[in-house]
Order: sequence, then C-alpha cells, then structure tokens
Amino acid sequence: MNWEVRTMQSKTSFFNRTLFRKNLTRFWPLWGGAAFIGCLFPLALLLQLVRRGGHQVGSPLSFTELYYNVVAYGLPILSLLYAILCAMLVWSYLYNTRSVGLIHTLPITRTGLFVTNFLSGMAMMLIPYAATGLLCVLISLAYGRFDPVGLLVTILGVLGESFFYFASATLVAFMVGNIFALPAVYFLLHFLAPLLDWLLSQFAGNFIFGLNNYGYSGVVDFLSPTVYLMERVNVNCSYESVITQTNLTGSYSETNRLISVDLENFWLIGVYTLVGMVLLALAHVLYARRRSESAGDVVAVGWMKPVFRYGVVILMVLLGGQALYALFWSSFQNGQYYDALPMAVCMLVAGAIGYYAASMLLAKSLRVFRGSWKGLLLVAVGCVALCCVLRFDLPGISRRVPEISRVEKVEFYAADNHYTLYPGEDDALIEELRALHKAIVEDQEYIRDYQDDWMEAVYNDDTGTMTTTYIRLTYYLSNGLEVRRVYNLPLTKYRMGRDGAYDNLLDKLVNSETMKAKRLHAGDSRYTVNTGNLYLEGSGDYFDLNSREAAAVLDAVARDAFAGTWGDYDWFDQNQNSAYALNLELNFAYEDEWGTGYDWIEIIVRPGMVNTVACLKDMGLVTDQDLVTREEMEKDYQFDENQEFQEKLAQEAASIGVIGGADGPTEIFVTGG
Amino acid sequence: MIVVKDAVKKFDGFAALDGASLSVPTGSVYGLVGPNGAGKSTIIRHLTGICRQDEGTVRIGGEDVWENAGLKAKIAAIPDDWYYFMQSTVRDMMRFYRGFYPSFSMERYEKMKEIFNIDEKRTIRRLSKGMQKQVAFWLALSCMPDYLILDEPVDGLDPVMRRQVWSLVLGDVAQRGTTVLVSSHNLRELEDVCDHVGIMDHGKVLLERSLAQLQDNMVKLQVVFQDGVTEVPPGLPVLHASRVGRIHTLIMRMSADEATARLAAYNPMLVDAVPLTLEEIFIYELGGADYAVKDIVL
Repeated sequence: MNWEVRTMQSKTSFFNRTLFRKNLTRFWPLWGGAAFIGCLFPLALLLQLVRRGGHQVGSPLSFTELYYNVVAYGLPILSLLYAILCAMLVWSYLYNTRSVGLIHTLPITRTGLFVTNFLSGMAMMLIPYAATGLLCVLISLAYGRFDPVGLLVTILGVLGESFFYFASATLVAFMVGNIFALPAVYFLLHFLAPLLDWLLSQFAGNFIFGLNNYGYSGVVDFLSPTVYLMERVNVNCSYESVITQTNLTGSYSETNRLISVDLENFWLIGVYTLVGMVLLALAHVLYARRRSESAGDVVAVGWMKPVFRYGVVILMVLLGGQALYALFWSSFQNGQYYDALPMAVCMLVAGAIGYYAASMLLAKSLRVFRGSWKGLLLVAVGCVALCCVLRFDLPGISRRVPEISRVEKVEFYAADNHYTLYPGEDDALIEELRALHKAIVEDQEYIRDYQDDWMEAVYNDDTGTMTTTYIRLTYYLSNGLEVRRVYNLPLTKYRMGRDGAYDNLLDKLVNSETMKAKRLHAGDSRYTVNTGNLYLEGSGDYFDLNSREAAAVLDAVARDAFAGTWGDYDWFDQNQNSAYALNLELNFAYEDEWGTGYDWIEIIVRPGMVNTVACLKDMGLVTDQDLVTREEMEKDYQFDENQEFQEKLAQEAASIGVIGGADGPTEIFVTGG
Repeated sequence: MIVVKDAVKKFDGFAALDGASLSVPTGSVYGLVGPNGAGKSTIIRHLTGICRQDEGTVRIGGEDVWENAGLKAKIAAIPDDWYYFMQSTVRDMMRFYRGFYPSFSMERYEKMKEIFNIDEKRTIRRLSKGMQKQVAFWLALSCMPDYLILDEPVDGLDPVMRRQVWSLVLGDVAQRGTTVLVSSHNLRELEDVCDHVGIMDHGKVLLERSLAQLQDNMVKLQVVFQDGVTEVPPGLPVLHASRVGRIHTLIMRMSADEATARLAAYNPMLVDAVPLTLEEIFIYELGGADYAVKDIVL
C-alpha cells in the first residue's frame, strides 16, 4: 500500500497528512537550510574539542551553560526571525486568489487546514533546532558531559519560544491579506509598545515642563516579548575557586570551577507560551471568519481596517511630526520645549501623509482623495488637541508633586551630587525638597520664558550674579511607579536672597548641615565606601584609593563638615576656583529593596579643611606644592605664559633678518643685542 | 441536486450576488451564462465552499456546502484559473488530490493518461495553458465526483481536445449520473452540451429553464411583407427587428405557432420560423434587463 492510500482522511479529521507532507516537501529549502546552518555550530564545537584532544572540555554544566546562553540571548531573536519565514510559507496560500480557491475547495474544514498548517509550521520551526540539539547531545555524550536537566530545560525553552513566536506570526497571518504586509505588521506589532513608549516619552518630554529628556520608560516592554525576554531571562553561573599544587614545582595555581548554572526568569518563557495559546485561539477564530476574497488586501479583517488607518496616522503623527519639526523648525525653536503651533502643523502634515498612505494601501488604489476630508479633519483636530493638551499640560503632569505618604524613596541630584532620601528617616528633608519642587512648578512660566535668553545672559555676565544649574528629582512611589523630573534652572543672587524663591530653597536645602551629612552618607549603615580616586590638576597625577584609604578620607571630610570648615557649595562659582586644584571622588555601594546600587560623591577640598588635607598628606597623596587653589594656579599659569612670551620676544629681537630675492639679499640687518 | 436560494454576497458594499437562486437537477448539465460581472464566478465560489454567502442558502444534495468536508469530497471543481503548486509535476498533484479525495480512482487516472497524452513527470508550470487545463480535467475527473463544477472550463483547449473533454464529461453524466454546472461565455458550445440553462445578470438569476423550454418560449421569424410595407407593423410585440432587402427578421417572445398566427393578419408573402440559438436567447433575454442589445454576433 502506498502512502497516498494510507493518508486518506476521514471527514471529521483535524489533521491531513497529505497537506502536512506537502508543506514539508514544498518548503524544505527553508528548514533544510536552517538545519544545515544550525548544525555548523556543534560541528565547529566538535572540531575544537577534537583539536584539544578532549582536554578543557569542562563539566557537563559547561554544556548546559552553552545551551542556556543560546536560550537566553539567541533564541528570542532567532525565533522571531525564523517564525515569520515559516509563517510566510505555510500561510502563503491565503494571499492569492487562485491558491486560496484550490485549498478551500478541498474536502477539509478550515479547522483541519488550520491545525495541519500550524503543525507543519511548527515542524519547520523545530526541525533545525532538533538537528542542532541532537548533534550537541551526541557530542556531549561522546565526551561524557551529558546533563539531562540542562537539556530538558533547553528543550522546554525552545519549544515554548518557538510556539509563542509561530503562534504570534500565525495570528498576524490571519489579520493581513498580503504576503508583504505579513512581516511588516508582524515586526511592527512585536516592537510597537517600546516604539510608542519611546515616541510618546520624547514627545511629552519636549512639551511638558520637567519631563525633558525623560527618555524611554520601559514599562510596557512586556508587550514586546523579544525585548522583555532578552532583558529578563539571564544565565547565572556560580563558580568556586580550586587551588591545585603541581607535583613537580610544588607551586599553587587557582582556577574557577563552574558549580551551578541557572536560567533566571525561565518561567517567563512559560508565560509567553500560555500567551501563545491565546494568540493561537484568536487566530483560529479569525480563520473561521476570514473571507477568502480578502486575499490581496493589506488588512483582511473588516473591523481592523480603521484601526490600521488611524494606527498608521498616530505613528506618523508622532514619528513623522517630530522628524519634520526637527528638519524645519528646531533651529527657530524658542527655548528647550517644542513650539506648539509649528509642531501642530508638522504633525498635521505627517498625519495627512499617513492617512492617505494607509488609505491607499487599504483601497489598493491611488484614488482615495474624494470624500477624505472627514478623516483628514479628524486627524487635524487630533493633532491640534494633542498639542494643546501637552502645551498647556491639561492633565497637570508638570504640577504633580507626590505626597510624602505615597513615596517610598526620593532620589535627588543637585550640585554634582546624588542624595537618597527615605520617608520616616528624612521626612524634613523630603518636605523641603517638595517645597522646592512646588516652587519650581509655580515659576515654570518664568523658567520656560527666560530659559533660552538666560543662557546667553549667563554667558555674557561679568558680574557673577546669574548662573544655571541642573537638578533631577525621582520619586519612587509605593504603587511601583516613578515620578521623575529634570530641570535646568536659572539662578540669580537676588532671588537666592528672597525667601520662598526656588533659588533660595535650593541653596538652603543643598547647603544645610543635614544635607551635607546626607551627602557623605554619614551614619547610614546601608552605604559602604568602596573606593575613591584623586586627581591633581597641577601635576596631572592620578591616584586610586582603596577602601581603607577612601574610608579614612571620608572620615576626615566628615570631621571637617562637623567642624564647619567644609564650606558651602557656591552656585555662582561652579568651577570652584577658590577650592584646591584637585578632584577627589569617593565611591559607595548600597543595598536597598531595589537591590545593590552605586553612588559617588565629589569632595570639594577648600583651604581650611585641615582634617582632610592632613589625611591626604599623611597618605602621601599631596604635598604643599599641590595645595594651591584654582585661582592661584590660573594666575601662575598666566604669569608663566606671559614670561614665556616676553622671552620669546627678546629672542626674536636678537635675531638676524634677511630680506632678499632670487638674485641675492637686498638687505641684511641685525637687531637687538 | 444543487440548490441556491436567495443568496446575497457583498464585497465592500457591492452586491456580487443579490438574491440569486438557481436549481440544478441531479444528473443534468446546467449552463450558467451571463455578461461579465453578472456573478457567475461568485456563485461558483459559493458552490465549491470557497466563499460563504451573507444571506440565503447554498446547498448540494440537501446539505450546506460551507465547511462540509464530507460533501466537498463529492465535488470536483475546475476554476477558470486553476492553481497548482509551483514545482509540482502532474504526478505530484495527482498524489495531492488523491490524499484528499477518498473516491480518487487510480484506474481512471491511468486510463486518461492515454487520452491526454501528457508527460506526468513534467512540472505543470512548464506546460502550455491548454495542457494545464487538460491536467485540471484529468485530475478532477479522476476524483470520480458526483458534482462537477466548471468555470470557463474549455478556454485554451484546441477544438479536438474540447470535444474530447466534453465527451468525457458527458460520459460521466450518462454513466454515473454526475451533475454538472458549467459557466461559460461560449454559448454555442453550451448549446451543444447543456440541457438546462440559467441566465445571470447583476447578481441575480434572471431565468432558468431547460434548453427546450427556452427555445419554445422565443421565436425568430423571417418575414416578407406585401409590396409597399417597408416597416414592421406597430401592433406586433417584437423584441428585435432587422431588415435585409425585403426580408425582415423578427424576434418575438411567444411560440412559433402563435407568432405565425399574429402575422397572418398582415398577409405576409413569406413567414419562416428559424431556430433560435442560445446566443440569441441570451442577447434578447438580457435586452429586457437593460442589457445593451447590439445586433452583433458574439
């Protein structure tokens, strides 16, 4: 009996072996090529092992580490790319009127087609992995390094990710009706969430006061499985030191031995596998309702057509609008924030392009202009509304100052230093910080209006009464969210003396004794000073401080602070010209519920800080010659430069000059002497 | 029996089928004719289970076609643009069909190999269009279908092969009682093979009758009136009239006897009833449905 007879199907079957076999035989170049490329890697590994004669093969765990590295850092990308290729082949019949006609005429239900084609695609996905994995297993067995647990975890990971990615590609395959739209929509949907996150963050950050340079939040990364898996699934290895003594020389050597390998957050693959099942069920529903005549359409599902049209508009408005603005208006921009009207125009132009491009794709025609004014009007209203909402901050984002009761931690960066404040320990400081934040928010129009002109004013200022500074506030809320604000603040000596002005509040806060103590992490057991470094600007010498030296310096600085000799941060002398010409930095590590963090402080060493200077001298890091202020050093430098110039002039004056032509000197003269 | 009742199918608001109804008796050869865009291919795509109607019913042998794998195993269809896998040979496609159709007959396949005389190891895409059509017939007839649905089936076939193919189809009808529904523009050809005809226009089946009924219901007369009568008398219910010399050719919607009796009142010199071709019936029937009747031979 030949196979054709054996494969005759019953009418209730959900699987058709003929179709399965046809798919595999038709599309063998894809899975065969992938399997071939995959097999090259274990073969290369085998070659290396043969060359080493089996030495340095490592333990079975080293093979597991290799597998896990592939699962954690290679598999998401590989599966993302390979799944769409498989889907483009097995579902290709949906995108051609002739092929969809043949397949749907056959005596098999759509469920049967769905199951058979999906399994064909999964087989195409897994064959290369299986071939590669089999070779790896054979090699590990040959060298006695077989780790069944590692292999099982790897197989589960490969199955889970392959299933998820192929299920997602299958869902997209039923959403579109054109084979070129399939990869485009697939990749767009896989990265839409971080893309929108980035675009909205950029957009809002350039409109809303304090959100500037907000960047990318990452809160929706889980909607982009490739990004999320690459970020979260990691390989953790533990090693132990092994000291061995050689028999001949009796010398000792230390090597690290791998004792455990763990795939961190492996459960996420399981979660995405479950998500894949949901996507697959949705795909089946779409197939059951799919109209065969949608073959060739960009979007195959009726209700998704407006979603596609306005989705393209939104992307174009955000991406194209900002691009057009950067091209045509950024050089005319007043201040660091977007100008609302030009941005609205750029958004409208980009939105209109997106609207008509999407309409043309949906209609498969260039004649989409008639009657389009309603859609275009909607786009225009949306653009203007979005610009108004953001420019005038109707949601009140910029005015938001979290209540202390909702805060778990506050990070504050100002005057080149980081501060971390905790409710319950630093309530007074947090309230002062909130008062500063509120004062900044109240003066936001003043800051926005004068920001651009201010930079020029500060640059031309000879009086030393105005400057700018950069501060950053991050509130970690108890609900897991963050409120992060960044400000470039203009400061004046006049306002610094005026109670309640943000200049005044900032100065009081940063130069308060408690904040200075906070800056040094004095008495804070969470912080450990690890290292430090010292750079002498005069000699150019650079020293690394070990933990003991760093702790000694920190102690000395603390004693100076306690004695009141550390001095205040001078906002109008940000180069710290009155301080010694040296850069002293101390590095800390700290533990909190967010894990291990790192911090550093810059110590401005001023004349009068006797304890610090004595400490540095005792350690032999500085001498009296190094202890000059930047002002003095500048003067010396100018003096030296002037002296050099005079000497040069004198040398030139004593030289011989010759004025001449090709036929000999016209005049010879000697000057000076 | 194939029964379509009040089928409606809309594509982006356009009704390709607008309440179409037809009925094909078991064992008959039913010709579906109509102008371009009438909805013939659309109704065929419903009968083969490719499309699902928005309204109405599409049934074959008393069962709904949509998602009915058991019923579809009894139906073979040849669309006007038959699809085959790019690299496939005739034998590959035979295996594919054989895997799906339980009634596929290898014996018949082998017999028809001699008739079609096509190298089954050649890839189909390398064959001419006419040969590809022959392959489609070869495979469809090897499925031993109870229902054969053909859309412009003999386009591209040479006259000898057309005759051969029709001979095979009609042989199946005679021997196995196969029900055939065929859509075509080639009315002369349909006239030779069909026993029932349906005329479609604007998504509706305007009429369907047996060929004999159609021909009885309309008559073409060649008439020579008495001297001095150059125009057709206005009292006559004429669908179409033309004149060459003194001979008037009149098309009338009535039987030949009735038409001759009506003309007798004008004492014509000559009245001769000429059989109407299906092509003429098609043209004049659709003339009543706003179809631009032109005095042309299609």
